[in-house]
Parts: sequence; C-alpha cells; structure tokens
Amino acid sequence: MSRPDQHKHGLVPGLVKGMATTARTMTSHAHTQEYPDVKPELPPRSRGVIALLAENCTSCMLCARECPDWCIYIDSHKETIPAGPEGGRDRQQNVLDRFAIDFSLCMYCGICIEVCPFDALFWSPEFEYAETDIRDMLHEKDRLGEWMATVPPPPATDPGAQ
Amino acid sequence: MTTSLPMPKVGPMQAAAPKPMRLVLNWGRRYSLWVFNFGLACCAIEFIATSMARHDFIRLGVIPFAPGPRQADLMVVSGTVTDKMAPAVRRLYDQMPEPKYVISFGACSNSGGPYWDSYCVTKGVDQIIPVDVYVPGCPPRPEALLQGILKLQEKIAAEQVRGASLRERLGSAVGRSSVAAQVSRPLVQPPSDGLQDNAE
Amino acid sequence: MARRELTVGVGAGDLATADMVLNIGPQHPATHGVLRLRVTLDGERIMAADPIVGYMHRGAEKLFEVRDYRQILVLANRHDWLSAFSNEIGLALAVERMLGMDVPERATWARTLLTELNRVLNHLMFLGSYPLELGAITPIFYAFREREELQAVMEEISGGRMHYMFNRVGGLREDIPAGWLVRVTAAIDAVRRRMPDLESLLVGNEIVHARTRGVGVLTPEVIHAYGVSGPIARASGVDVDLRRDQPYLAYAELFAPGGAGRVVTRTEGDCLARLEVLLEQVQVSLDLAQACVERLSAMPGGPINVKLPKVVKVPEGDDYVATENPLGLNGYYLVSRGEKTPWRLKLRSASFNNVAVLAEVLPGTLLADMVAILGSMFFVVGDIDK
Repeated sequence: MSRPDQHKHGLVPGLVKGMATTARTMTSHAHTQEYPDVKPELPPRSRGVIALLAENCTSCMLCARECPDWCIYIDSHKETIPAGPEGGRDRQQNVLDRFAIDFSLCMYCGICIEVCPFDALFWSPEFEYAETDIRDMLHEKDRLGEWMATVPPPPATDPGAQ
Repeated sequence: MTTSLPMPKVGPMQAAAPKPMRLVLNWGRRYSLWVFNFGLACCAIEFIATSMARHDFIRLGVIPFAPGPRQADLMVVSGTVTDKMAPAVRRLYDQMPEPKYVISFGACSNSGGPYWDSYCVTKGVDQIIPVDVYVPGCPPRPEALLQGILKLQEKIAAEQVRGASLRERLGSAVGRSSVAAQVSRPLVQPPSDGLQDNAE
Repeated sequence: MARRELTVGVGAGDLATADMVLNIGPQHPATHGVLRLRVTLDGERIMAADPIVGYMHRGAEKLFEVRDYRQILVLANRHDWLSAFSNEIGLALAVERMLGMDVPERATWARTLLTELNRVLNHLMFLGSYPLELGAITPIFYAFREREELQAVMEEISGGRMHYMFNRVGGLREDIPAGWLVRVTAAIDAVRRRMPDLESLLVGNEIVHARTRGVGVLTPEVIHAYGVSGPIARASGVDVDLRRDQPYLAYAELFAPGGAGRVVTRTEGDCLARLEVLLEQVQVSLDLAQACVERLSAMPGGPINVKLPKVVKVPEGDDYVATENPLGLNGYYLVSRGEKTPWRLKLRSASFNNVAVLAEVLPGTLLADMVAILGSMFFVVGDIDK
C-alpha cells in the first residue's frame, strides 16, 4: 500500500511541523472570553429567552396551540366593557389572567413568536436564568414582562430583501 | 466476583466541623469540581464547546479530566435521557462519591424537551437522580452552562454537609448505600432466549 | 454480571485462551455518544463486533406523525445534531416538491450557503474529535476555534448556534441581516487562513499515519453491500455525491463544469483516507460557500420565502428526497394523506448504515485499532438511533 504522499514529507518531519504550529500559537493572544466578567455580545436574533408584552396579548391562544412542546399556559376571562355615554353596544374583552412559559420544556423554535398576530412575544438574547429548582423555570407573566427591557431592535436587513 | 466497598462519604466529623473549617471545605469543593460529562446528545457538543479555549470552564475550577464517575464531583447530564439509557445514568451516578452534584444541561434532560411526548424518552433526568442546577436552552449556549456552574458554586458555598441539609438536597437518595451488585447490575435484562453469550 | 466467558489460562496446559466479551459503551468517551459495541476478543484480536444501537432512540419518526409541517421542521434537525441545517433542507425540499412550490432564487442560494457552512462545522467537529480519539488532544482546540467563528455568523442570521430552525416551507424564516454577507466572507477567509494550523497537526504527522494508514480498509464491495455513503464511501473510491449526481438547491450550477464544486475521493479506503477526505471537503465547502456569497451579493433583490397559507396541507401521495448530508445520504420518505400532518415520515439517516459496517471491518483487527476505526466512521449517535 504505497501512496504518493508517503515520500513527500520533505526535510521537516510531520511531528516537528505540528510542534511549530503549537509554538506559534503559544505566542499569539488567547481568544478566551472572560464570561462572568465580560458579557458576550450577542446578535439581536439570538434565541435566549422569550419576552412578553402583555398589553398586546389578546389571549387568542394561537401561540399555545402552535407550540410543538405545549409549554405555554394561558388563562383568561371575558370582561364586558359597558357602552359609553354616547351610546353603542357593550363590548366584550379578553383579560389575560395568566401567561406562563415553561423554559424547562421550551425548545426555542420561535414558532410562538412567529404566529403571534399582535406582536406580543419577542426574542431576547438573555440566557442567564439557570435555576436550582425546576419550578422556577416556569416564568409567569411578570417575569416574562421583565425580559422586555432586554429585547434588542431587529437588525436591518440586506438591501436585497423585499 | 464483585466486592462491596462502602461509598466514600463525608463523615460525621465534617458535620460537626466549626464554621471556619466548613468555609474552607466548601471553598475547596466549589473550585475543584471534577466534571464527568454525561454526553448524550446535541447538548454534549455545546458542553465540549464550553470546555474549549473560547469559553474554557477550567477558569471557574471545573476540570473536565475525570477519568470516570468514580473520580468525579460533578456530573453534567447533557442530552436526551432515553428509557434505555436511564439505568446507566443512575448507575454511573451511584458510582460517584459523595458529595456529588448534578447539572441538568438543556431542555431534554430538564424535562424531555422537544421529545416530551416520545414513547421512549425519560421526561427529565430528575426522575432518576437528584439535580442541583437546571440550565435552560435547546441547546443552551456555552455561557449558559458557565452561569449554571456559577449558580452551583454559590449553592456549594452556602451549604452545610450534614444529615438534614443533605436529606433536603438529595431527598430519598441520601444515605442510600450503593453495594457493588447494585452499581454493576446489567443494563437491560437479556431476553430469555437471548444470544448465547448472554446465558447465565 | 451474566457474562462469564473469561477463563484464565494459567495451568491449562497450553496457551489457548477463551474468548473474552468486552463491552464498549454505552457511555464511553470514544463512542462520542451512547453507542455500545460488544466485542469478542481472542487475546488482542477482535473476533466479532456487534454494534448495539438504540440507546439514543427518541422515536422522532413517530413524533413527526403528530406534528404539522412547521413543527416537524423544527424537530427534524435534531437527529444529526452536527448537521442540523442539512437535515432541515431535506424535509423542506420534500414538502415543497409535493406541494409543487417554487422557492425564490435568493432563498435557494442562501440555503446552499448555509448548508455548506454547516458542512464545514460538521467536518471541523470530526477533524477535532478523531485525533482526540487517537490520542492527540491539540487539534480539537484549533477545530473549535474555527467552529466558533462560523457559529457566530450562523447565529447572527438564524439565532441559533446549533439548531438553526431557520428553514420554513418555501424558503427561510427571515431575511439576511445587513452586512451579514461581508461577515460571512470574513469568517470564511479567517477559517481558510487558519486551516493550515489544523492541517499541520494532522497531515504528514507520523503518529496519525502510524495509527490510521492501512487500518480498517473498506472495499467498494462492502460499501455497496452495507449502503455506506458520504465521505466514508468516497474514501474507498465510491464516487457518489448527490450534490453532483442528483443536484438539489443550487448545486447543479455549482457542480457544473467550471463551478466551484468538486467531489473529493480517495481510493485507499483506510482510516487515513477518510480523514483526508474530510480535510479536503472542508476546503471544497469553503469554496462553495464563497461562491454562494458572491452570487448572493450580485443578485437582484427578491423575497426569501413564499407566503404560506395558514394551514399547510400536503396533497395525497408520497415522495422520497435524499440529500448529501455531511455524513452521507440523508433521505426523507414522506407519505401524506392530505392532512396537515404526514401519515408517515420515514427517515433514512447516514450513520445507521455507516456504523453497521463495523461488524464487517472490525473482526480480525487489533483492539487498539478499534477506536481508530470506530472514530473514522464519523457517526452521530442520534443519526443512528433517530
């Protein structure tokens, strides 16, 4: 089994070549990111955590139904808004009681954000929410709302986009 | 011919140790976590990425060179635990000496994740072993594991290794003496008309 | 334990030893994952090897049957977690073909670009882990440095580092961010510039050669008999690459004469040849990705996806779409009864066949070579067990 490359090592043995690379790398600067001290710069699309803008939510349940993991819990009730003094009819409105996402189950696919017709859900690149108790992974409405502050504006798209 | 050896344990002396001593012990424990990577699926790749030069969790005192569970303090379960694999996970956990910690890394090992309705996936590794820190993500980014490790270190720093607090942390698993026959039990029962070399 | 085949030969009167059954795995560092091998040994020589699969079986095919096509696309990338984008592509193409849907040109080229970047990511992982199994720890650091570089651009466009979940039926989920193509070019150039570092540790290294040359030779007959595909088949001289032979996406143009694509083959069929194929394929994929970037920058504007109806229902019928995944042929057989979920979605994954061949190559080799051969099959356990 002879190969053409078997004899073309030249003067420098392969081992030495590897050592030379190691020596060269040793003199260059390390590319380690000092995470707890320096926060990483994450792109705006990064899928870290889902934020909820509760005012926009009409509790239409689309996200909960489309979720492949069924990890969204929504409770709501109907309230009647009486007609104003200038007449008209009584209106019915959904009031959101509970909106929770179970992040121990979530697969971070973003389908809920995509299907939301009223732009109530957003991706935030935050990732620091490891917990010691699995029950704390269920983020309720107020905690999901807190993530809103970390939602970045969407990136500009390529000029070719339409 | 297996011999039953007692599991190494932190003895009663530790529980009675004065507070400064305990601080030193906890400090020692939190910064020398020899990690045993239970790499099962996708998340294992992100675990490897965390151990590489860019994220480098050796900075935090997590040492990924444990030759096996018997030399490890921390087990990171990264990936889907299937029902077929679950006995092996439990067995390797039982082989780890006390005090031991478990990080569940990713949605699959937290609670089944995308495979929550599968017929052959364990719905979370905490069904078989006690878990200390849950890291969310599918897969979590390497920094999320680093944050999970920091969380665990905080927990270790605050901990008292004595009967009551151990029981609280480990639940029914505390004081469970693992005899050799238990930790070396076969993974799956061979079928009765099984292959020849499976014969008793 | 049940197995009691080892009888120590002392006093037996001759040097004959009984066969020893050795279990490797399911949790073993060399199996990167949970493959289990039952090896029967005579001394140091392997008499029989039996890959026992199923420790990572997650029942994905059954789950596909209760999910609609959008949900399947975000689950189907997970069986081979190192080539998530390529897995999505195969399924998206199958659904689109059955729907008779035309995908915008920009989407096709962007998909091709991402597929090739994903291929580089996959190969870099194995170029790092294979030497690690042979005992060289250094290459994996270099491989992961490049991986991080590429994962950063992948994350910028898709939001995910590993599971991109960026395909939709009819195109991609979101458009390309402004300036992303420039950063992709920079990343490709950086990887290309630093690849010699990784190569210098592998190419021509005497220890790697000693461990891999002439070890675990696969003949084309075995390749055909077991349905082995991908870089492993091409390392044995089986010149099959669906990107050229059955072009999908934009590969017809890329693999046309004068295009950037070429099929890398070797004839030796040993572990070293498989490693060399991987190394060279990285270069080819970088070329292909660069060609896609150039094409995308020069392209007139246009949509990146097709507006979908609220419920996607695939018409009744069946179709099989195979793609050239980084590890080999990945096929989806989709049977639809006109519902919004498939009636059956069969998955043909590359690693299953590639690992099955171990039962053929391992007998007769030394135990010390086992890890070298096992690692050179470049498998992902999820791809075996689905």
